[in-house]
Amino acid sequence: MLKGGKTFGEKRYAYLSILPVVLIVALFTVYPISYALWASFRQIIFYQPYHTPFIGWANYREVISSDYFRKAWETTLIYTGIALPSVSAMGLGIALLLNTKLKATGALRVLILLPWAVPAVVSGILWGWIFNSTYGAFNGLLYSVGLIDKYIPLLSRPKTALLCVVFAHIWKEVPLAAILYLAGLQTIPNELYDAAKVDGAGVFTCFRHVTVPLLKAIFLIVIIYETIIGVVTFDLLYVMTGGGPGGTTSLISYFIYEELFRAFNFGHGAALSFILVVAMLALIIGYLKLLPRQEVY
Amino acid sequence: MSTISKITLYILIILLGVYILAPFGWILVCSFRPERDLFYVPPQWVPRRVTLDNYNYVFTGKIPEGFEIGSGGLTARISEKARYILPGLRNSSIIALSVMIINLVFGTIAAYTFSRIKFKGSLPAYMFILGTRLLPPIAIAVPFYRIVQSLGLLDTHIALILAHSTFTLPFTVWFLTLYLKNVPPSLEEAALVDGCTRLKALLHIVIPVAIPALAAAAVFALMFSFNEFLFALFLTPTIKSQTLPVIVADVSVNPDVSYALMSACIVLSIIPLLLFALIFRNYITRGLITTLRMK
Repeated sequence: MLKGGKTFGEKRYAYLSILPVVLIVALFTVYPISYALWASFRQIIFYQPYHTPFIGWANYREVISSDYFRKAWETTLIYTGIALPSVSAMGLGIALLLNTKLKATGALRVLILLPWAVPAVVSGILWGWIFNSTYGAFNGLLYSVGLIDKYIPLLSRPKTALLCVVFAHIWKEVPLAAILYLAGLQTIPNELYDAAKVDGAGVFTCFRHVTVPLLKAIFLIVIIYETIIGVVTFDLLYVMTGGGPGGTTSLISYFIYEELFRAFNFGHGAALSFILVVAMLALIIGYLKLLPRQEVY
Repeated sequence: MSTISKITLYILIILLGVYILAPFGWILVCSFRPERDLFYVPPQWVPRRVTLDNYNYVFTGKIPEGFEIGSGGLTARISEKARYILPGLRNSSIIALSVMIINLVFGTIAAYTFSRIKFKGSLPAYMFILGTRLLPPIAIAVPFYRIVQSLGLLDTHIALILAHSTFTLPFTVWFLTLYLKNVPPSLEEAALVDGCTRLKALLHIVIPVAIPALAAAAVFALMFSFNEFLFALFLTPTIKSQTLPVIVADVSVNPDVSYALMSACIVLSIIPLLLFALIFRNYITRGLITTLRMK
């Protein structure tokens, strides 16, 4: 057997085999990003397609100093700030619940996937309908029980609108977190709990010292994933509030959409997209540095 | 376990069940009622009139009762988009299945290579592919649109298939590489010594072993494609290629919408997905669990 020939053939196969994937991914990510970078330094407005002068950092300056910019980041921060802990905590709680030996959990384990299986737009529509100001079931419930005497326009008031959107988001995202935690819980060997109990640990101590440390890896995955999702959310906003009463539910991703399709300013949109990409990278690197060891790759 | 804790747990389980199922149940109930019945304040919890009119409209175009006045005029505008649910479903399925196949074929081959063969540039390539997962889709949406437009592929299935593949392939490759790294290579090594090529080894030896992981990857790719909305919104101007989420969003965002009709549309659009998730739930959960165990 010619060692040289075999290795050469294998090398060629290796490159060929990953070519389709690398090609598709590179073509549709590298090229658009480069184009966005190029465009962010120019003034490109859709109704003036042939006039694209180079304007340096002007787009970035305009975008960063616009009122929407700070507002959108604040909203995104609040949104993720509420969604992340909620999804994490609820997911963990549900996982703990499902991990008990009760028979009823069997049916629940089947049902738990359903909210995650539907598109985000459907979740938005479902909850948008329930929270509807005039005919919604939520208002109806509160009214029938006597808690309020007039329907609350939930989606038209800035504070409640954001909460409703977060609620719909949490409803859809919790199943995934729950399943991940459940999988993690099931990998913790029972001997650890037994040993802890022999040493006199109660339920909470067991949880704090056995469960939590071993779930760190999953915790990290959930946090990173949910942060990305939180920042990138668009479907839900489009369908539930269209950016919300006066832009109060416009997350940064929706703001980009607005710049592109309401203001038709592609230069701005590109600059924003780029800022977003850089921010995401910084965030991820920050996370990975903060919680060392356990790694996803 | 003490009775009190058992009872609390049961209550929690019931609450959880309600939390998960309530929206579905409500929309289901709403879809079977005539339009007028949905305007009660507070709403009628138990439907007094039940009708299939809404579904009838989607399937056959027969205007539901509440809309007609005598000589054929309509009391309110009725969304024509609702009739596009079935074509939307067809488009979604075609695209999702294609994406799934692309993922299975190219993703598996690439993952196998990454997990077994060390070659120059394999780590950078791998890192690159995984790095693209961190990209916010909206950032590349508009340049993507321009590429597709210049290729003349607007309003075709291919445009979305490419877009979805771009987002699903990294995940599939990562997932399968992780799984394959934990499959002992002894069998393949034996075959290779006997003169088998890498490709043949993959096909005949590795794939049968990796079927659960492949199934999970396929399911994830399919579901992602089906549920994707942003790119579907941008790249599909007409019903020729519009997918289900876009149609459903169109129907619901319309201010003139008939809520009962909207409910029927939603129910129709989620039934295939729910069924799919129920049937393949084992693959989904097992897929996630296996990857986690591979740390």
